[in-house]
Amino acid sequence: MAYWNPEFQRLHAPILRYGFAVASVAVALGVAFALDQYQFRDVELPVLTVAIALTTWYAGAGPSVLAVLLSSALFDYFFTEPFYSFDIVSRDIPYFLIFIAWAGIVASFSAVRRRIEDSLRQARDYLQAEVEQRRLREIEIRKLNQELGKRAAELEATNKELESFAYSVSHDLRAPLRHMVGYSELLQRQASSSLDEKSQRFIRTILDSAKRMGNLIDDLLAFSRIGRTETRTTQVDLKQLVDEVVAEIGQDANGRDIAWKIGALPVCYGDRSMLRLVVVNLVSNALKFTRMRKPAEIEIGCVDLDKKEVEVFVRDNGAGFDMQYENKLFGVFQRLHLPEQFEGTGIGLATVQRIIHRHGGKVRGEGAVDGGATFYFSLPKAQSALENMADTP
Amino acid sequence: MSTLGRILLVEDDPNDVELTLAALTDYNLANEVVTARDGQQALDYLYCRGEFNKRSTDNPAVMLLDLKLPKIGGLEILQQIKSDERLRMIPVVVLTSSHEEKDMMRSYSLGVNAYVVKPVDFHEFVNAVKELGVFWAVINEPPPGSVTK
Repeated sequence: MAYWNPEFQRLHAPILRYGFAVASVAVALGVAFALDQYQFRDVELPVLTVAIALTTWYAGAGPSVLAVLLSSALFDYFFTEPFYSFDIVSRDIPYFLIFIAWAGIVASFSAVRRRIEDSLRQARDYLQAEVEQRRLREIEIRKLNQELGKRAAELEATNKELESFAYSVSHDLRAPLRHMVGYSELLQRQASSSLDEKSQRFIRTILDSAKRMGNLIDDLLAFSRIGRTETRTTQVDLKQLVDEVVAEIGQDANGRDIAWKIGALPVCYGDRSMLRLVVVNLVSNALKFTRMRKPAEIEIGCVDLDKKEVEVFVRDNGAGFDMQYENKLFGVFQRLHLPEQFEGTGIGLATVQRIIHRHGGKVRGEGAVDGGATFYFSLPKAQSALENMADTP
Repeated sequence: MSTLGRILLVEDDPNDVELTLAALTDYNLANEVVTARDGQQALDYLYCRGEFNKRSTDNPAVMLLDLKLPKIGGLEILQQIKSDERLRMIPVVVLTSSHEEKDMMRSYSLGVNAYVVKPVDFHEFVNAVKELGVFWAVINEPPPGSVTK
């Protein structure tokens, strides 16, 4: 158990270590003399070897060398003929050399053993420190995990609340709206002959407002749904998507003179139905704000930004906007035109921005009053898409 | 188009009742409509008990069912009549404001015959109610044992 005794292990001061060497050799010498006294023969050699071994063990290499030299000298002096002299008679030389060799071997074995144990101890200490650190880290991780769990639960609760809010909005706000519209229409039908033009206009205003509110609710619900639903990422051929949307929306503008210009478009990664909503919003905006142009020019194309991103734009020659209000373009319910100029709820571009942000891209607009507008949205290309999607909430 | 089936309208909102009846009146379908204002009343009618204990035991040709009802909800009524041997044959059309997928899933899994979301626009609402009325009360052959005129 001495090995585990820290007192012995910490013979660090040189004076103690060499003192230990001298002392153990002295004790061994004393023991040897005492045994000699009792007529035991040839005990000095093993006893001195034990002293050397102990020195090596507890005091290290340097003191062990000292112990070997010291015990050789003393052995020579006291126990080999001629006694009490450092001279060696030639027949004792092998005996003496064997002693030195034997002492050396014992010392070196001890030294090797000691070194191994030292490194083992170091390894153990290192491991203990490591285990301690790991324990601390585990505690920290567990704490963070708990916090995260709490945060997730809170988020889930908020989400649930939001969902039930949206549910009750869609449910409970619709019914009174339907009644407003329904009864106004019944009134219009019932009393159209007895009402003057002004009263009829009032009823029409009630109807229009109620319908407008219905649209606002629908748009707001759709907008909030974008934030809540999960994106389903697939490869989306933007060219095909744009053609599809233009064909569909273009039908509504059949009588109009429109010059479509659709350039080459890339294949992207994204949620197809959401990206479709982006294109629908931008294209129908372009159509709406070019209503007074003959011909209306609408161009859809893309710019290769760098290896990671591609930027798609929708350009028109319509009403445009003042660049000083650029920061308001993508806000919810923000409008830069009067309702009697251009109808709308003001949620289209907000939807576009929200979808593109969820895809890890950016949106921006450029325009001039009466000089047309260009809207850009960037999307990650195929390779970088998945990483970027993981980063965005 | 010779017979007119009886319609059981389960709807708590008096305005919706009036508008629905107005829509059905436009197409002469309103005469055979019975209105229940909550889930309890609807079940009383179907089981011929309470205020309806005098009526003949025939089933309505169709039931137009709102989901949000006082006392007993629409989905509960649906569950109850679809597990009743005599009532399960009644065609049930859910007529609701709810777009929610979970309501739809639940209704269909309980065996509803149609699910109609009430349109906000009055014209569309009138059209929806009219088409429902014409289809279920006139065109569709109701199961045997239903009230017809």
